[in-house]
Amino acid sequence: MLRYMINRLLLMLPTLFGVAVLVFVLLRLAPGDPVQMMLEGANVSQQVVEAERARLGLDRPLYVQFTKWFGALLNGDFGVSIWTGRPVLYEIGIRLELSLQVAIMAALLAVMIAVPLGTLSAVFKDTWVDHLVRVISIAGLAVPSFWLGMIIILFLLTYFSWIPPLTFTPFFEDPWKNLSQLIWPAVAVGYRYSAVAMRMMRSSVLEVLQEDYVRTARAKGVHERLVVARHAMRNALLPVVTVVGLEFAFLIGGLVVTEQVFNLNGIGKLFVQAVARGDYTMIQGLVLLVAVFFVMINFAIDLLYAFLDPRIRYR
Amino acid sequence: MKRTVLLGLMATWLAIAGIASAQAPRSGGLLKFAVGAEPPNYDCHANSSFAFIHPVRPHYNTLLKFDVEKYPAIKGDLAESWTVAKDGLTYTFKVRKGVKFHDGSSFTSEDVKATYERIRKPPPGVLSLREAAYSDISAIETPDPTTVVFKLSKPNASMLANFASPWDCIYSAARLKKDPKFPERNIMGTGPFTFEEHVAGSHWRGRKFKDYFEKGKPYLEGFLAIFISGAPMVNALAAGEVLAEFRGHSPADRDRIVKALGDKAVVQETPWVCSLVVTFNTKKKPFDDARVRRALSLSIDRWGGAQALSKVALVRHVGGLLRPGYEYAATEKELISYPGFAKDIAASRAQARKLLQEAGVPNLTFTLTNRNVAMPYTPVGVFLIDQWRQIGVNVKHDQLETKLYLAAQQRDNPTFDAALDFNCDFMDEPNLQLLKYLSHDRSAINYAQQTDRTLDDLFDKQSGELDKKKRFAILRDFEKRALEQAYTIPTIWWHRIIVTHRNLKGWHITPSHYVGQDLSDVWLE
Repeated sequence: MLRYMINRLLLMLPTLFGVAVLVFVLLRLAPGDPVQMMLEGANVSQQVVEAERARLGLDRPLYVQFTKWFGALLNGDFGVSIWTGRPVLYEIGIRLELSLQVAIMAALLAVMIAVPLGTLSAVFKDTWVDHLVRVISIAGLAVPSFWLGMIIILFLLTYFSWIPPLTFTPFFEDPWKNLSQLIWPAVAVGYRYSAVAMRMMRSSVLEVLQEDYVRTARAKGVHERLVVARHAMRNALLPVVTVVGLEFAFLIGGLVVTEQVFNLNGIGKLFVQAVARGDYTMIQGLVLLVAVFFVMINFAIDLLYAFLDPRIRYR
Repeated sequence: MKRTVLLGLMATWLAIAGIASAQAPRSGGLLKFAVGAEPPNYDCHANSSFAFIHPVRPHYNTLLKFDVEKYPAIKGDLAESWTVAKDGLTYTFKVRKGVKFHDGSSFTSEDVKATYERIRKPPPGVLSLREAAYSDISAIETPDPTTVVFKLSKPNASMLANFASPWDCIYSAARLKKDPKFPERNIMGTGPFTFEEHVAGSHWRGRKFKDYFEKGKPYLEGFLAIFISGAPMVNALAAGEVLAEFRGHSPADRDRIVKALGDKAVVQETPWVCSLVVTFNTKKKPFDDARVRRALSLSIDRWGGAQALSKVALVRHVGGLLRPGYEYAATEKELISYPGFAKDIAASRAQARKLLQEAGVPNLTFTLTNRNVAMPYTPVGVFLIDQWRQIGVNVKHDQLETKLYLAAQQRDNPTFDAALDFNCDFMDEPNLQLLKYLSHDRSAINYAQQTDRTLDDLFDKQSGELDKKKRFAILRDFEKRALEQAYTIPTIWWHRIIVTHRNLKGWHITPSHYVGQDLSDVWLE
């Protein structure tokens, strides 16, 4: 197991290196000049533009720029934002707490809704319970999170003349203020998230309920509740864990529109701003961060498999 | 709809009533307002966006400033009084005594000198966007701590207004001496508010400066600028969560906020020193032919378009190269004599078709490069394409995200046919608004790429002309020539709409969203 873990961790390095090269090259291939964006509308001479480009190191050959950036990266230095001049890690750090919290809340909400409802839907297949759960889950898949977010905001504004706080307060500083801001985006995102997991849970439980060991348990006279809870649900969780994990990694950088709707100062919004400004170093840092999240979560999911299903052993 | 209009009228009336009734200002309170974008760094001299001015200006003073109630009149800020020599070559300012910087040090004329030296001759590594505006200054002298003298090499009609520029924040000479880049990462001025915090991507906070030189001011205990844009910003205004956004709203957003706030809304409106202009790439055929460019200008019904577009977009006023209503702008009588501004649009379009025929492009097809910013770029772009279609010109609308949009108009070898560009300045001043029409080798914001020495000469003449009547006449010659050649043509001028909560007092709208933002006179009811 330990050897497997070390191998997996080592394999992450070429993956992340590939991501780093790809994002660096693709950004430079795209048309547009970040310096021109910064000086938009200003009547400055070409010398000023060139001086600014030189100051940012953008006048050097690509391989020199890459070597410098990657060398610093190996020392944990992600560089400074072209746009703000502040360290990339600082810019990401102040937003990561919010994005992580929304992702965790949405994931918890999704699991809390998806696991019981998905199981109920499978156990009571083709009854009104199943139909209701399927309507709820299909609606969740059909409704975009940002749209639901807009409806929530408009509802709060119209009926209570209130909108969630506009600035972030850390949970441990003021839990009430924190939750009154973040519960709404968590609901908007968590609903769609739960719909995906709910569908997966239903089909997975249905499949497991047909297995021999479930038939054996029933034949042994085990109570139906225990059959479902101990034998069916636990085994049915494997694909659901995969879905939940991947969705979680996506949420870290993928809440772009929802963050705009709720004016959340998160990673998704930073991503959009960085792309719009042509902030190379910031985009590179963010893409790497999301890649690290995906790789780590995949790794964690694999380890969780072994916990959920003792038959799975890694060598 | 009727209800919205009624609410709007009521709110406007309240605004007028509010302004008229001179209530005694109250001290205290935190002003929360929205800012649609975020400043990249903290240096006034290196920035050009409202997103910078709105949160940062309250921390600084300038030598002069615009009198918002009598715009474009100017008044002293750190300058107590000033004189201009008859030949226009010497400007002498007496600066205030007893002014303190936020670190407790005293302000003197040396700080003014150090600031303007930094702007006109930035040290290596320092970015100064307004270096050119002060190129006529030959020397800055400080005979005593309360006097600063600017010597000019030639007269410059815009120099006094330049000294009121909100971008010319006065920095501490001592700090600049230690580190010329100090203002890039630090806020330290003499302004009414001290800097408290900036949480990147979220907000900016300022606190009342207890030692501010104007006794009793500022009235506010502090301000909180929240970076928020689009629909969330409108929602925040509608909920009263923020009391204002000082750039401007579209008519639809105004109506939504007014509907939500009811009699708590105060609406102020004015023509705006901003316009969208069409730039033709004169290095590319057939736009190197003045007949083609003029034909395209002639086919635009600006008068009809202004009426129609004002209902859906933040554009409303027909004007030439200078903002309608400004003292140096053409009168309506003069305007309708220029190509593209006649009220008989049928005759203009007949003339346009004839010109295209003569130029050998009766069935012209081209691409209009536009920015994918909804307001007002999209509606104006769609309007123009429809206007051109009416003379048989087929235009593809290419809306690009800002980075690609700017790349298409890049300074060397641009690829666009025609582009919708913007001309937005911090004040009404021909030396600023006409820069786009100067030859390419003299103006970095001329994307049309033309070289026209006649226009250059006329620009220099008006710039050095201190007699208002004479300057006005030269400006008409410039405008006539520019519109006949049509390298870059104005479309419709913007209309600034600001909705504030009635609890916000002491703020006055001006045609520029850059001026009047030091918040020293603002108070909360």
